[in-house]
Amino acid sequence: MKIVAVTACATGIAHTYMAAEQLEKNAKELGHEIKVETQGALGIENALSARDIRQAQAAIFAADIEVEGSERFEGIKVIRVPVQDAIKDPKGVIAKAQK
Amino acid sequence: MIEKPKGIDVSTEVAPAAEFEFECKLPNGMHARPASRLAEIVSPFASDCLLTNLRNRASADVKSVLATIAADVRSGDTCLMRVEGLDQVAALAALRTFIAEELPGCDEPLADGVPEGSAPKLPRGLESAGIGYLSGLPVSGGIGQGIAVVLGPTAITADFAQAAAPNPNSEHERVECGLAGVRARVEGLLARHPAGTEAAILKAHLAILSDVALRREVARRIDSGQSAAQAVVEAGEHFSGLLQRSESANIRERALDVRELCAELLEEIYGPGLQTAAVELREPSIVAAETLAPHQLLALDRQWLQGIVVESAGATSHAVILARSMGIPAVVGVVDATRLLTPGEDAVVDGNRGLVFPHCPAPVLRFYRREREAQDRRRAALAEYVCARAISADGVRIEIGANISSAVEAAAAFESGADGVGLFRTELLFAHRNTPPAEDEQFAAYADVVRAAAGRPVILRTLDIGGDKPLPYLKLPAERNPFLGYRGIRIYPEYREWIATQVRAALRASAIGPVWLMAPMVASVAEALWFKREVASGMGELRKQGAAFDARMPLGAMIEVPAAAFLLAPLCEYLDFFSVGTNDLSQYFFAADRENARLAGVANVRDPAFLALLQQIVSEVRGRHKWIGLCGEMAGEPRHLPLLIGLGLDEISVAANAIPGLKRSAARLSGSVCRELLGRAVACGSAAGVERLLNSAVPAQDAEPLLSTSLMMLRSDSRDKEEAIGEMVNALYAAGRIDDPTRMEEAVWARESVYATGLVQDFAIPHCRTDAVSANSIGILKLDRPIEWGSPAGSPVRMVILLAIRESGENGLHMKIFSKLARKLMDEEFRRRLLEIDDPGEMISLLGRELEGIAG
Repeated sequence: MKIVAVTACATGIAHTYMAAEQLEKNAKELGHEIKVETQGALGIENALSARDIRQAQAAIFAADIEVEGSERFEGIKVIRVPVQDAIKDPKGVIAKAQK
Repeated sequence: MIEKPKGIDVSTEVAPAAEFEFECKLPNGMHARPASRLAEIVSPFASDCLLTNLRNRASADVKSVLATIAADVRSGDTCLMRVEGLDQVAALAALRTFIAEELPGCDEPLADGVPEGSAPKLPRGLESAGIGYLSGLPVSGGIGQGIAVVLGPTAITADFAQAAAPNPNSEHERVECGLAGVRARVEGLLARHPAGTEAAILKAHLAILSDVALRREVARRIDSGQSAAQAVVEAGEHFSGLLQRSESANIRERALDVRELCAELLEEIYGPGLQTAAVELREPSIVAAETLAPHQLLALDRQWLQGIVVESAGATSHAVILARSMGIPAVVGVVDATRLLTPGEDAVVDGNRGLVFPHCPAPVLRFYRREREAQDRRRAALAEYVCARAISADGVRIEIGANISSAVEAAAAFESGADGVGLFRTELLFAHRNTPPAEDEQFAAYADVVRAAAGRPVILRTLDIGGDKPLPYLKLPAERNPFLGYRGIRIYPEYREWIATQVRAALRASAIGPVWLMAPMVASVAEALWFKREVASGMGELRKQGAAFDARMPLGAMIEVPAAAFLLAPLCEYLDFFSVGTNDLSQYFFAADRENARLAGVANVRDPAFLALLQQIVSEVRGRHKWIGLCGEMAGEPRHLPLLIGLGLDEISVAANAIPGLKRSAARLSGSVCRELLGRAVACGSAAGVERLLNSAVPAQDAEPLLSTSLMMLRSDSRDKEEAIGEMVNALYAAGRIDDPTRMEEAVWARESVYATGLVQDFAIPHCRTDAVSANSIGILKLDRPIEWGSPAGSPVRMVILLAIRESGENGLHMKIFSKLARKLMDEEFRRRLLEIDDPGEMISLLGRELEGIAG
């Protein structure tokens, strides 16, 4: 399946990127296609386009803070989890998105 | 016999004494500073000037500072000033004017040189251990370790039981003989140290030995039936006590001189048994003392002296100046040090932070051993630059000279790699004494420096004194605005004999090696010509005497008065070289007192206007093929170096310890880039613009790679987080990638306190972004034993990756590297590889591959 995700942590310097890495790596291992937007200290990177979102079956917000532009995801399923969950149990988070 | 006080025997041959009464309005009474001004006012007159405090009937010959202080004139006391002698009318007039106009202004607070600020803090690595320490004022940097040696106070113990009432005549004689003996000893020492700091101090001691009032106090007590010992003890205590109460730190420190001389006098009279014998050091030692006299310091074996702890506070005492010039770590103002340090026990002096450890438990020894190792490594790393020439990457050469104030500093300056002495300030030779130094004494000092220079040029600046830097024997009236007053070359015609003496001494030294002579505060061509004539006449005199000198000794001028900057064409016709004094030039150029805190940003040497002035000066001088250097504080800051190289200066002159670092910085720069940078700086609209330009022009990245083997520490014995961070900071410091380790360490801990960076199992990534970093760096610490990092994850850390990024002009580099590392560490295979590698080169190539494209 196709998944989009946004990661954002409170300080935006480490966990945002660690969570993104975990989601990307594990989704691929599970045979999914994933694109992760990071909203961290470097600003928004790898931004999700309207088309990315339209094509996805589910969105994961691994965020401890408000996700910027959450209105972009209206109309698709959004799973919200703390950043730590995506780092520690990325497969579990992905499984939730599949349900 | 001790001479009778002046002004008591009324001579019948002169007119009746003239007198007047005045009320002391000084809030702190007639303490040492006004008393010494008073003595200066009356000393040119032959008349006796007697002050009587009508409150306590105490009288004083105001020619003696000690006596005037001893009269204990307090605020509101009415005093009678009685003047008698052939020139009494003039003396009386001078006194009246002084007391009415100048005296009330004598009481402004005097800067003590003790910086205000928070008490020294324990370094992080020792904070948690609960270790006892003392703190004080760090006055001489470095770390010293050794056994504690507590010097007995130079106290004069009045423990002389007299079997019989002494015979006053024989006691007077004992004191006279004793004084002659001490004088001979001091003069003997002076012959061995004819120049520099030691000499100045010894001269001051000779002056005290002949202080009229001190001798009178001793004589009076003997006449009243005391033994010589009691009389000396009491008179000494009396005066040192009075000096000790002074508001001025400088005067308080003179109290020590009085006590020490009295102690020496007793020793001379009664033999050494009376005093604490001189301490002999036999192993590395930390010497603690209530007060430390220069003599005591000089008597200690430098080979074993590792550190100095003094209870009294005084950043400018003679002993401190000596300690600094000898490079001995020293902390002063340490309360109760002599009681809290136990003789024979190991102690550590941290002269960088102002800490003293009277006991050295293992953590302290370990902490400072590691820190000292880092300092040694840094010194070794910089050593290659000591002998190197300061030369930019594209071959532009700039000489780096040293600023010194005394001959004792010369050797250290050349050991640090000075290309010459760029500024020998000769004022210290003239300070702390009552008469200017004689030609031979000056010659000895200059010759010492010239010999140490071994063929490298020594730029000697003739006396730069005046209202801003007063000398007690320089009879200058107080000025409303001393920095704009009678100082530098302006006073030379009046004190021509002094300058002639100094010029002769300098010329004689020029026979030994290259001496360049320059005059301060030159503002006109006439002044330069006066100076040149004076040197010519000095040459004439020496020729007559058959003394050797360099007839082509270069002559120059300081460029510190803006007017001189616009007279360079004619000045270049008469002079051979110039040295820009940026401290004064900037404050005169901006009309802003550099010591006025409210004007701190005004006289900014990075202001484009000032840079344009410098550019004009240098190009004018260079265009006429004359030599030009720069010797102000501006030169000592490494970040100014691109501008200074861009200016095309022949030389900059800085504090000796800054030299190796500047040589290294120069090697990283490109002359053409510097010239271009200067052009852009001059075109900036403000100092802030220049700051931004300098910050964005960080040259470090090009020359220093992010990763280097010296930062790959793959066998670390650090035992906890504090040590691990300390070890990495030390490594960066040793590698010359940071200049201020304390600031760097604080920056790392500031991030750690937000959240511990033990992000992933086995790994921690402490990081910081600060301008304490001069070259962006990644350090790796692989721990022999895992340590706790205090992370939420809670797992122990086996590898620490430190990221140190310079804040200015970093453009997100910090976060790019950090986020990249954070991502990569999610990869178990990557983590396993990192932990496996034990070869620094392999580590660098692995990290280098991962960070490619980010770190440039």
